[in-house]
Amino acid sequence: MAASRIDIVATRLIAGGAAMLASSVLADSGLEHYRGSFANPTMVLPLGSAALSIAVNARRSGKPESGGSEAPTISHVASTAVGLIGLGFHVYNVTKRPGGLTFTNLFYGAPVGAPASLVLSGMLGGIADRLSKGEEELGPIGLTSGRAVGGVVSVGILGTVGEAALLHFRGAYHDPFMWLPVTLPPIAAISLGRDVIEDTVRPATTVLLAATAVVGILGVGFHAYGVARNMGGFRNWRQNILAGPPIPAPPAFTGLAIAGLGALLLMKARR
Amino acid sequence: MPSEFQAEPRAINGRAPDVFTPDGWVPMRGHADDKEVDFLIVGTGAGGGTLACKLAEAGFSVVAMDAGPYWRPLQDFASDETEQQKLYWTDERIVDGDNPITMGANNSGKSVGGSTVHFAMVSLRMRPEHFATRTKLGYGVDWPICWEEMWKYYDEVEKTLKIAGPVRYPWGPKRGRYPMRAHPMNAAAEYLARGAEALGIDWTETPIATLSAPHGKAHPCVYRGFCVTGCSTNAKQSVLVSWLPRALKAGAEIRDLSMVGRIETKNGRCTGVHYVREGEWRFQRARHVVVAGYAIETPRLLLNSASDAFPDGLANSSGLVGKNLMVQLNQAAWGQVADEVRSYKGPPSLAISEHWNYADMGKDYFGGWSYMSQGPLPISWAKTLAGGHGLWGQALIDEMARNNHSVGLKMVGEVLPDERNRVTLADETDQYGLRIPRITFSHSENDKAMMNHAVDFMDRSLAATGATERWKEMSDTCHLNGTARMGNDPATSVVDADCRSWDIPNLWVCDGSVFPTVGGVNPSLTIQAVACRTADRIKALAARGEL
Repeated sequence: MAASRIDIVATRLIAGGAAMLASSVLADSGLEHYRGSFANPTMVLPLGSAALSIAVNARRSGKPESGGSEAPTISHVASTAVGLIGLGFHVYNVTKRPGGLTFTNLFYGAPVGAPASLVLSGMLGGIADRLSKGEEELGPIGLTSGRAVGGVVSVGILGTVGEAALLHFRGAYHDPFMWLPVTLPPIAAISLGRDVIEDTVRPATTVLLAATAVVGILGVGFHAYGVARNMGGFRNWRQNILAGPPIPAPPAFTGLAIAGLGALLLMKARR
Repeated sequence: MPSEFQAEPRAINGRAPDVFTPDGWVPMRGHADDKEVDFLIVGTGAGGGTLACKLAEAGFSVVAMDAGPYWRPLQDFASDETEQQKLYWTDERIVDGDNPITMGANNSGKSVGGSTVHFAMVSLRMRPEHFATRTKLGYGVDWPICWEEMWKYYDEVEKTLKIAGPVRYPWGPKRGRYPMRAHPMNAAAEYLARGAEALGIDWTETPIATLSAPHGKAHPCVYRGFCVTGCSTNAKQSVLVSWLPRALKAGAEIRDLSMVGRIETKNGRCTGVHYVREGEWRFQRARHVVVAGYAIETPRLLLNSASDAFPDGLANSSGLVGKNLMVQLNQAAWGQVADEVRSYKGPPSLAISEHWNYADMGKDYFGGWSYMSQGPLPISWAKTLAGGHGLWGQALIDEMARNNHSVGLKMVGEVLPDERNRVTLADETDQYGLRIPRITFSHSENDKAMMNHAVDFMDRSLAATGATERWKEMSDTCHLNGTARMGNDPATSVVDADCRSWDIPNLWVCDGSVFPTVGGVNPSLTIQAVACRTADRIKALAARGEL
């Protein structure tokens, strides 16, 4: 079955978003797991699966109509699985500390929600894969309406907002811009969620998702500034990149928002 | 002793060192000696520095003098315990009594910013009942200020210092959110936490005055561990980097390396102070004099200022100047554990239990105490092992070699006011030609009962976490308070609740000396809260024309 022009663009966006998300995971978990000295050998797994995910999703984004080997499927399943396992490890890392589930342990233990990004990357990549092959369903879930992708993105953004809210609370919201990723993206996620439920596409949702994508990029700049505010600034980068706010984390918003725009395209086309 | 490290005054000619910039300067308003300033403040620590800021911001002309140098932390503080001894007040003093106090590191600083330049940053509120121990708990003496008012000022100080504390504090009345989040706990703090949980009492992350996020030009803490010396990143919110930059901006003058030797009085009022700077004795005229030299230098100055009109020293009609000196108990329990603790990493006291400040049952003594995890630096640890544990020679070397596995808990315990513990003047004089203080201190039976209970409890906590080869350090003290107590009655106190002396209306005392009782918490936050309240009271009195 030949895919429509809109389907192709949507697939590009969804796969591109998944690649962006995986890039964020690769750089962020690379830094943070290096900081943790790879104390547990499994800490290399997200690096491997995120790298693979970038490769297959970038390829899919570039060539949305290429059919396919099984490699992408293996990658997406691996990403999802590694993400889920990571969630378990991170929860264990937090709760084993004295006091258990306390704010301090949530602040300074393994970030509980972070591995979910890999799950999201796997899911979005998997959906993009199916769409490119012209498959309309994943199990009982219809894919071509775009609502499934939209739902995943909406929940994904809300989860990412939760993570940002927790870690920005750790930083005591010392810079007013720290409120940006916990105010704008949730509005976008809710707007998208409402569109998914009502199966309509409001113009505002497109604008909000685009703005969320921009916030993710701006966040890199703000986090770099945050790093610079540590003792020694970037002259002392080897310490401060690890001690300051995670520079690669914010583009997770961008990746999700781009995939969300893909979902909106599908929804518009099907309506 | 490297006391000549900074021999030349820096805060002169209309500028003062910029603490946030290497070799930097900020403009400073100057005041001529013969011009009468509104407030002359002696000392720039937790009491004097805070008050200088608040009074200058209220529009008063302020000159604050400090005997110590004006440091720029970014370039003046080496990561070297010996070099950093330049921060302590180690001028000649005589200590006696049954338990002579070790002066210096644990209790007095000689720097602009006072002892807060090297304090451990622990920023605790006193338990509400500890402001009225006589009425509520049957010992000591009541403060003339109610706890509700003090807690309002604690809020102000915590906001200013950006205290990093737990999201919920387990003890006492509800308090507002700390301005910054608690720091990550080091392994030493985790041992306190595990021990407290095993013994079934609450613990929490210690609220401390070091940044867990950037603030202005100050960097967040880098967990270097040189906290009870000078912080070289400005993360530590000492008076030097918090209140004083504001004070300068508001027009206060800070005169470093200026030792005040005598307060002059005429017709029952202060007229100014004699001080020595660059080897020359000078006289600064002032409408009001505030003494904020901490619990040794404050009574010393008041006593050294005796005149024909005030033969027993200034503000001393009650005879209480110098009396009721209160240290705090600083005993510890130590042990060895199998895993690497490296307790010297990060701020030294990251976890705390205030359980025994708030629990009154199960004690055979009066008063409260808290205890915190510890992180001694190597020289300090060697001194502890030699002095407190009696190790020497090969035994000391062997013990030092396994420092990474040592873990300990240390108390801050309430000492009750006792007039026999006091500061008087010795006949000897110091480098300025001023009579030096004689500091007399003896532990009471109450102190000993508290120490025994505390070290036993801390020892049990360590035992519950698997520590072995445990031992008890029984001989340390910290902090200084009392010696110019505040109260409601001129016969039993030196100053009133506003820190104004009963005898001389334009003489004030604003530091830890005014504490009637000390509670079981580090005093710096309370001193700063008292200073903020004093500033508000001075403003109110000025508005009513009662200054």
